[in-house]
Amino acid sequence: MQEQLSLLDLVLDASFTVQFVMAILMLASMLSWYMIVNRFLYFRNAQDEMYQFEERFWSGVDLAQLYREGNEKAADGHVLLGMESIFRAGFKEFSRLAQQSEMDADAVIEGSRRAMRVATMREEERLERHLAFLASVGSTSPYIGLFGTVWGIMHSFRGLANTTQATLATVAPGISEALVATAMGLFAAIPAVLAYNRFASRVDVLSNRYDTFTDEFSSILYRQAFALRTREKQVN
Amino acid sequence: MNTSIYAKPVAPRIVYRPILATLVLHGLMLYFLTVNWTDTGGEVTRVKPVPRVINARLVDVSEFKPKPKPKPAAKPKAKAKPRPVAKAKPKSKPKPVAKVKPVAKPKTAVKPKPKAEPRISEQELAAIARADLSHAMAQEEQVQATATADEMAASFAALIQQTVVNYWNRPPSARNGMEALLAIQLIPTGEVVSVTVLKSSGNTAFDRSAINAVEKAGSFPELQNLPSREFEKTFRRFRLLFRPEDLRY
Repeated sequence: MQEQLSLLDLVLDASFTVQFVMAILMLASMLSWYMIVNRFLYFRNAQDEMYQFEERFWSGVDLAQLYREGNEKAADGHVLLGMESIFRAGFKEFSRLAQQSEMDADAVIEGSRRAMRVATMREEERLERHLAFLASVGSTSPYIGLFGTVWGIMHSFRGLANTTQATLATVAPGISEALVATAMGLFAAIPAVLAYNRFASRVDVLSNRYDTFTDEFSSILYRQAFALRTREKQVN
Repeated sequence: MNTSIYAKPVAPRIVYRPILATLVLHGLMLYFLTVNWTDTGGEVTRVKPVPRVINARLVDVSEFKPKPKPKPAAKPKAKAKPRPVAKAKPKSKPKPVAKVKPVAKPKTAVKPKPKAEPRISEQELAAIARADLSHAMAQEEQVQATATADEMAASFAALIQQTVVNYWNRPPSARNGMEALLAIQLIPTGEVVSVTVLKSSGNTAFDRSAINAVEKAGSFPELQNLPSREFEKTFRRFRLLFRPEDLRY
């Protein structure tokens, strides 16, 4: 007490409950940072690949050719994500249905749209992974920290009740170590909340792009399906 | 290539970089926190890089006459704190105030002159020179009257030192070259809250005598006159070095 209290001493001298709270918060902070960086990289990847794919898609390349390129990429061990996986799902379903001559153009398009919707859902699910965790860290860790602080202060005041001469010095270390818990809670919560808000808005942006792409692509497919069916009718 | 579009999606595994970033971030945070923590905590104990060591030795009264050191950079502040004489009687207030006043006058007298009269006659030049001189002298006097916070703290330190020395009963085993460093905590009323030995002299009797001296002194009520900022800075915790230099054996 005579010497200055180091942060480490504060943590080590704390009561078990406070230490437990601190451990939880430390873990939460580390996990949330792991997820923040993970999500950051993932979103950056997804956006880059989306731009690349869009460019390729609208460059006038043959759709079957594009699909085959994707196959090659997948064979190389490249994971196909985002817009490309939506495209592949839609195109695969389209080509499968188009081979069945008893299905008319509407039914084919309906089928491929369904496949694309499924793929989009899956993409959104991938984008939103971990975000729930960030949100709950952001909203609960201040409370957890506060709990640790209240507990610690409670104890140090109880210690004060037992002494005859009440000085600030008898409670100050206890309060100080208890406050560390709140500080840690805030430290975990602030980045998590910021990251959650940012990532949530990015998920919105990306899924909007996917939806737009789905509509554009299905209009192209509709044109193709219609042309195919009329040609078949002419042949017959 | 899997056959179904409903197959389980394969997400790219992004693992190493996030883990690395997390560990680095938390490690850095811990490092800076612990480093800065001790620094801010240390400011209370160590006011200056050199610990405030007070050499407790018997001192002649004549040595304790106030030796005003004119500070070169001292600015003429009208609110100069009165310099408490080494005896730390706060009665000296009216004196410095009286001294401060004349400073303002020459200043105002000097300034308008050159403005009004671009050509200066010799008499006026002499007058200005005289005014300058008096101004300078007044300033010097004021500087002398102005007790800087450091000097004030030093005088209080000297006071504490003297009080403690008066109560100090050295054991017969005390020898020259022995040194006991004590950490003393005070509260603003001047009472001693705690005394601990920071560095023992190696002789328990000597250490105990030093602690006894501080405890007997008990309190330094004169410290109440010190502005609280100065008190916090210097006397909340300070160190006292006991060293029997005057012994001849």
